[in-house]
Amino acid sequence: MTNRLKVLRAERSWSQADLARHLGVSRQTINAIETEKYDPSLPLALKVARLFAQPVEQIFYLDGQT
Amino acid sequence: MSLMHLARRLNSAIGDAKRAGNEAGAAIEHTNKYYGLRLLRAGLFWISTYAMSRGLLALWPDTERSVRVLIALAPVPLFLWFLWIWMKGVVAMDELQRRIELEALAFAFPTCVVILMTLGLLELAVPLNPDDWSYRHLWAMMPALYYAGLWRAKRKYE
Repeated sequence: MTNRLKVLRAERSWSQADLARHLGVSRQTINAIETEKYDPSLPLALKVARLFAQPVEQIFYLDGQT
Repeated sequence: MSLMHLARRLNSAIGDAKRAGNEAGAAIEHTNKYYGLRLLRAGLFWISTYAMSRGLLALWPDTERSVRVLIALAPVPLFLWFLWIWMKGVVAMDELQRRIELEALAFAFPTCVVILMTLGLLELAVPLNPDDWSYRHLWAMMPALYYAGLWRAKRKYE
């Protein structure tokens, strides 16, 4: 799954550690999501969407979609 | 460094990690560190008791059987304390950390099974020296395989 997490994080000038603290997860988790080595669970994806005030489909895409 | 000094430093580090983890907006890494240090402390107590038990059993070969059994079982309550802290630490982990733990165990458990099974068959095929292949030697392979699985899983998500 592709995502725009890094872009959204950069728009707010947050480090991975900052974003991890906001979401209550480890920096390792944020890095793994951004590098697309790990797909977040639904609750975490919804937390991300709420944090960035965007629909979850505009942050996470299945491969091949935009 | 004496054991008492080490214990004091560990207790102090555990207190610091707990306070850091309790602060609002604290990174989950502080909580991980808190449980990691508690696990280290419990593990040191457990291993020390295990070493004492082994030493006493070697030193007192002619002691009454019931006393020897009690000495052999002495590390078990400390291991249960270690296990309790480990479980609490796993519950406090985030979802990726828990997946890493799962993948580590998914590697270690079947690998242990196949090694023990193979040793069981080898025991029937050839004489295995009990001074090299007894339970007290084989158990250490299990945490070693778990750490190998953990290393492998952590690398996968870096």
